[in-house]
Amino acid sequence: MTGVTTPGALSGITIIEVAERPAGEYAGKLLADFGAEVIKIERVGGAPTRHMGPFRADDIGGESTLFGYLNTNKKSLVLDLANPAGRATLDKLLARANALIDDHDEAWGTEHSLTSTAVAAAHPKLVHCIVTPFGQGAPPEWQKARPINVINAGGWAYHSPSEAAPDKPPLKGAGRFLPDYESGIDAAICVLASLHRQRGVPKEKSGGQFIDISEVEVQVNRIDCVLDRMLAGEAEPGPERTAYDMGGPSTSFACKDGHLYLFMTTQLHWQGLCTLMGDPAWAKEFPTDWLEFHCTRERVDDFREKIRPWIASQEKLPITEAAQKLGLAMVPVNTAADIPMNEQFVHRGFFQEVAHPVFGSVAYPTVPYKLSASPVRIASPAPALGAYDAELGGV
Amino acid sequence: MPQPDRGGPLAGIRVLEITKVWAGPYTGKYLAALGAEVIKVESASNIDEMRAYGGVDINSAPYFLSINQEVLSIQVNMKTDEGLELVRQMVAKTDIVIDNIRPGAMERSHLGYEDLKKIKPDVIQCSIKMWGNEGPLGYQTGYAPCFAALSGLGFLVGHEGETPRGMNMRYGDSTVGATAALACIAALHHRENTGEGQFIDLSAVEAMTSLVGDSLFAYSVTGEVPQPDGNFHPEMCPHGAYTCADGEWISIAVADEGEWQALGKILEADALAADPRYASLSLRLENRHALDEALNTLCFAQDASHLADRLRSAGVPAFRSQSSLDLCSDAYLWGRQGYRMVSDHKTGTRPIIGPPWRMHPDMAKVERGAPLLGEHNDYVYREILGLPRERLDDLIARKIVD
Repeated sequence: MTGVTTPGALSGITIIEVAERPAGEYAGKLLADFGAEVIKIERVGGAPTRHMGPFRADDIGGESTLFGYLNTNKKSLVLDLANPAGRATLDKLLARANALIDDHDEAWGTEHSLTSTAVAAAHPKLVHCIVTPFGQGAPPEWQKARPINVINAGGWAYHSPSEAAPDKPPLKGAGRFLPDYESGIDAAICVLASLHRQRGVPKEKSGGQFIDISEVEVQVNRIDCVLDRMLAGEAEPGPERTAYDMGGPSTSFACKDGHLYLFMTTQLHWQGLCTLMGDPAWAKEFPTDWLEFHCTRERVDDFREKIRPWIASQEKLPITEAAQKLGLAMVPVNTAADIPMNEQFVHRGFFQEVAHPVFGSVAYPTVPYKLSASPVRIASPAPALGAYDAELGGV
Repeated sequence: MPQPDRGGPLAGIRVLEITKVWAGPYTGKYLAALGAEVIKVESASNIDEMRAYGGVDINSAPYFLSINQEVLSIQVNMKTDEGLELVRQMVAKTDIVIDNIRPGAMERSHLGYEDLKKIKPDVIQCSIKMWGNEGPLGYQTGYAPCFAALSGLGFLVGHEGETPRGMNMRYGDSTVGATAALACIAALHHRENTGEGQFIDLSAVEAMTSLVGDSLFAYSVTGEVPQPDGNFHPEMCPHGAYTCADGEWISIAVADEGEWQALGKILEADALAADPRYASLSLRLENRHALDEALNTLCFAQDASHLADRLRSAGVPAFRSQSSLDLCSDAYLWGRQGYRMVSDHKTGTRPIIGPPWRMHPDMAKVERGAPLLGEHNDYVYREILGLPRERLDDLIARKIVD
C-alpha cells in the first residue's frame, strides 16, 4: 500500500510515536489530523489501547473504539524495540523524522536507549517530547501514576463538582482519560512550536529540542487565575472542597427529558428567568438584586427548592432556547446522543463520516477549530496492526 | 525601548491579542511562554474585567496578574476611527491576531478576516466564540459551565445515580485557550509551507467536546449512551478516591492481580485480599460498591499522604487528592519550578504557575509579570509603528490612546 496523502497544515512533517498511553497518542492524533505523517510504533501484539474498550456488543474484545478514536490518520508499524534489529529500524526512521513523541516512564527510556540524552546524541535535529505524570526527574514510583491519580494530584478532582459535599469522593472527570487529553494538547502545542523553530535553524546546526511535559502541571496550569491568587496570598487556600467555587445559584437541574444548566449572576438574568417562568408568586419574595447583593447560602437553597419543580416539568431544548432569547444563560446538558443532532454541531460539520473496515461508516468527532486554508479532515481511519510494515520495515 | 531577547521556539512571531477574561488571554499567555511577542490591545474605557475583579487598582488586579505574564500592553480606544486605524497599522506588523470578543464585534470594527487580509495578506486570525463564529446558535454567548454542559463533558461527570453536576464550574476556559494556541501554531506551519495565512474559527463548546471525543466515538460505534459514572473504570478495580483521616482523600487505581494483592498487604487486609467476591477483575467490578465501602473503612483512620507513599512503594498507583492548600505548599512543584517567580510592579516579585513544559535548549524566558495598562505604548507606537513622540502625545491627549 502506498502512503496516504495527508494535505494539511503539517504537510511534509514526519512524527514517530512510541507513546503507548492516551496522553501521547492524543498528541500524535492532533498532529496527524493536521496532516503530519505520524508513524505509530506498536509492540508485537499491538498497542495497549487496542485491547481497551468500549467494544461493540457483538465484538467484545475485538476492535477497540478507543484505539479507533486515538489513531486516525496514523500509520502503524510493528517493532520489537527490545530486539536490536527493531531498535535499528527505529533509528533509521528517527534519522528522517522531525519529531518523536513518547509517554513512558524514565526506566523504559533507559531500557530502550530513548532517554533525552541518548536521543539528542543520536539525532541532534530531532524534536523529542516525553509526556509523564509528574515530569522528568520524578521518583520512579510516581511515574506509574494513572489518570485518576493525576487529576487528584492536580486538584481538579478534589474540587469537582462545584459545591462538592465533604462526604462524597473527588471525581475523576469525564471518561477515563480527561487529564491525558489535556496533556496531549500541551504536548502537541510544544512539539509544533519546536518544529517551527526547527524550520528556522540552518541545516548545519542541530535544531533539536527536548520537551518535558508534566501532566500534573498541566492540570495546575488550567486553574491559573484561581490558584495563583492563593499562591500570591491574595486569596486564602484551604482544605475546603469548595475552594475553587464562585458561589451563587448556578448549577444543573433535572428536567423532564434530561438535565439543564442554569448560569445566573446578575439582576438581568433574574429578570429574564422570572419572565421565562411567567412571574410566579414565589419569585416576588426575592429582592430584585439578590444575585449581586443578597446571595446568601439560605437564599440559594430556597431558590433551588422553589425552582426545581418548575424545571422538572420543562423539556430541555424548548425551554433553553426561550431562555437564550431572554438573555439567560440556560443551556441543555447534552448527552453523547444529543450532540450529533445539535444544529450547531451539524452546521459546523463537527462530525465526519469515515469508513472503517470493521465499524463500517461511522461518525467521527473531529476538531474544534475550522481552518479556512488547511481544514482538518480524517483521511484514513486508525490503521490495522502493522498496516505499513512492508513499506516501513517492521517485524 | 527594545524588548528583552527571551528566546524560545516562537521567537520572532508577533501576536496581537484583542481578548478579555480568561480563554483568549490564556492563548496569549501560552504563546508568550513559547517566546512569541504578544501585544494585548487594551483601553481604559473598555477594560478587561480581569483588571477590575478583586480590587480597585487596575494595575494590580489579582486575576489579571495570574494570567498575563510576559504579555505586552498597549492602549487604544477601538470605539474611535483613529483608534481602529492604529490597530490596522499594528495588524500590518503582526503574524497572528486573536480575539474572543462578542460575535460580530470584530467585523463591525472592520477587523474581520477579509479586512485584515487586505492589510496583511498572510495574516493568521483566530477567533474564539462559545459556538464559533456563525451558524444557527452563533448568536448565543455563555460562560465556561455552559460550554461544558453543551459539549457533552458535563453530563459525564457526577456521582453515580445523581444529577450530573459536571466538573468544577471553573473548568473550561483555560482548555479553550490552549486549544486556540495549538491551532494558531499549526497555521504558522501552513504559512511556512505555502505562504498563505488563514482564518481559524474556534468553538469553545467543541473544544470541550474534544475532551470527550472517545466517549462520543464509542457511542457512534456501539449506540450505547455513556452515562455519568463517578469514578468507575471498566478496566481497573478498585478505582476511586477513598476517605482517609481528617477528611482527606486518596486516589487508588488497581489494574492487575499483583497490584490487588499489594493493596491488601499494605492495608493489612488479608481477609479482603482472600475474599472470593474480589478474586478477579470481573468479580471486583461486579462487587465494586461493596469493595469501595470496605476500602473506605480500611483507609478511614490513615493519613492520606503516608498511605499513598506506602502504596506507591508497593507498586500500587496512588496519590493524595490535593486541596488548594496542598497545591500551594507542594514542595515538589516548587522544587521543579512548576511555580516560579516573575517581576511585579507593586511588590517586586510574584509567584506564578509556570508553563507545564520544560524545553532544552532554548526554553523561552518567563520573567516579567503581567503588564501595567499601556506599559508598552512607547515600544509599540514609536518603535514598531514608527510614530514620532509628538504624535503619540497628541493621541494620548485626545484619548485615542486611552
